[in-house]
Amino acid sequence: MMKMLMKEWKLCMHPTGYIMLLGAALVLVPGYPYGVCCFYMGLAIFFICLTARENHDATYSLTLPVSRGDAVTARILFCAVLEAADLLVMGLFVLLKNAIGSLPNPAGLDAGLAIIGDGMIIFAVFNMVFFPIYYKDINKPGKAFGFSATAVFLWIILEIVGTYVIPFFKDVLDTPDPQYMREKALFTLAGLALFLAGTAWSIKQSVKRFEAVDLSL
Amino acid sequence: MASEMKSPLTVKGLGKNYPAFRLEDVSFTLAPGTITGFIGRNGAGKTTTINTMLSFVHPDAGEIAFFGLPFPENDREIKRRIGFVSAGMTYYTRKKLSAITAVTKSFYPEWDDGQYAKYMSRFGLADDKTPAELSNGMKIKYALTLALSHGAELLILDEPTSGLDPVSREELVEIFLKLKDEGKTIFFSTHITSDLEKCADRILFLQNGHLNADDTLDGFREAWRIAECGEKIPEELARVSRGECRVRDGFTVLVPAEDAGAFNAREANLEEIMIHLEKEADAE
Repeated sequence: MMKMLMKEWKLCMHPTGYIMLLGAALVLVPGYPYGVCCFYMGLAIFFICLTARENHDATYSLTLPVSRGDAVTARILFCAVLEAADLLVMGLFVLLKNAIGSLPNPAGLDAGLAIIGDGMIIFAVFNMVFFPIYYKDINKPGKAFGFSATAVFLWIILEIVGTYVIPFFKDVLDTPDPQYMREKALFTLAGLALFLAGTAWSIKQSVKRFEAVDLSL
Repeated sequence: MASEMKSPLTVKGLGKNYPAFRLEDVSFTLAPGTITGFIGRNGAGKTTTINTMLSFVHPDAGEIAFFGLPFPENDREIKRRIGFVSAGMTYYTRKKLSAITAVTKSFYPEWDDGQYAKYMSRFGLADDKTPAELSNGMKIKYALTLALSHGAELLILDEPTSGLDPVSREELVEIFLKLKDEGKTIFFSTHITSDLEKCADRILFLQNGHLNADDTLDGFREAWRIAECGEKIPEELARVSRGECRVRDGFTVLVPAEDAGAFNAREANLEEIMIHLEKEADAE
């Protein structure tokens, strides 16, 4: 699997993957829906899949001594690593923002620990929607992205509205750190569990679909 | 059975159904160290057969075995021993060949850097080029280099000479013959039959999804003759002939060699045989 992950990095990585990591710096902007930073990484993943199609990556991969399942698992794991890196960078910028003084965010959760948990939920939603649709027809990544972006934005809208109307979001998660750190840590752990379980489910579904499909290469 | 176990590729009863096309009961066995030409017009099912053989497409019927090992059950081991080269595919056009090679070699424990350097030099390829900077012929040569460097024993080539000029095609045919001399088995799909006249040991002729003929190149040619006639095909000739083609001075028809004695028929080349049989199928 390491060889396939290296193949993803060396041959399939799109420059937007690196650029969107820096998009995590948007948590420094006051009054911004920070969940959107994660959407940008989803956009980079879409570009990776689009570039893979243009470069006949599936044909190349399937002529290597690997199975279809290996190819799918490597792509999703590689994207999950990018997502995890995005959250790590976001976490660093959150620390920086809190060090220099953070203002309350009127457009969703404040830049704090909870936004990392929120990002994990966003990536779980993205992975569960994008990859199973993409691996039904790898020639149509735009369709998969359309559905996954819609799902991600619905969650972001829910999260923003929640900071005004849902007591747990409004009174606990959308507060400056270090208030309610235990609850925020639990929320982040729940996000991590969803991210891991959702990505594992996505791999299972995607492998099943990709193994059944006839490739028009 | 023993020879079948050693065959680089055995295909039995391969079938695939599409709404507008059906590949039916394709069966053949490749002998080691030979070049087999897989011919047929565009749309006959050559690429479908290859895609099915390589599991890009799932067959609806049939069995495939490489080196006696069922496929796709043993796909990892089999893929280490075969190389696939397609004219229509170019991988990672903006990456340097060195980058593609570095990734590719990591998957093959048998990778031979000496062989790689030898073929890169023989084919005049440079590691710092990208596929986008290569001509179609050079792209094929690079794909061959990768396959040969991991010690592929069987090369599956899908239309490798399509779109190449006659000199480049000749050059590739010579390379295929050298590889055959080195013991490689080559399965060569093409509709440019003149390339096969120069190198193939055996011909598989696919017609509208059916394997119409499976014979040695000489056997295939010796089975048929071409009779040239004027504006009208004589009745006795029409009774035995297969397919008619309009030419400048009249018609040509294909005649089975055993019936050709009574007519002033000449030897047929592969292209003429294929065209006349296709014409006959079209007329039906």
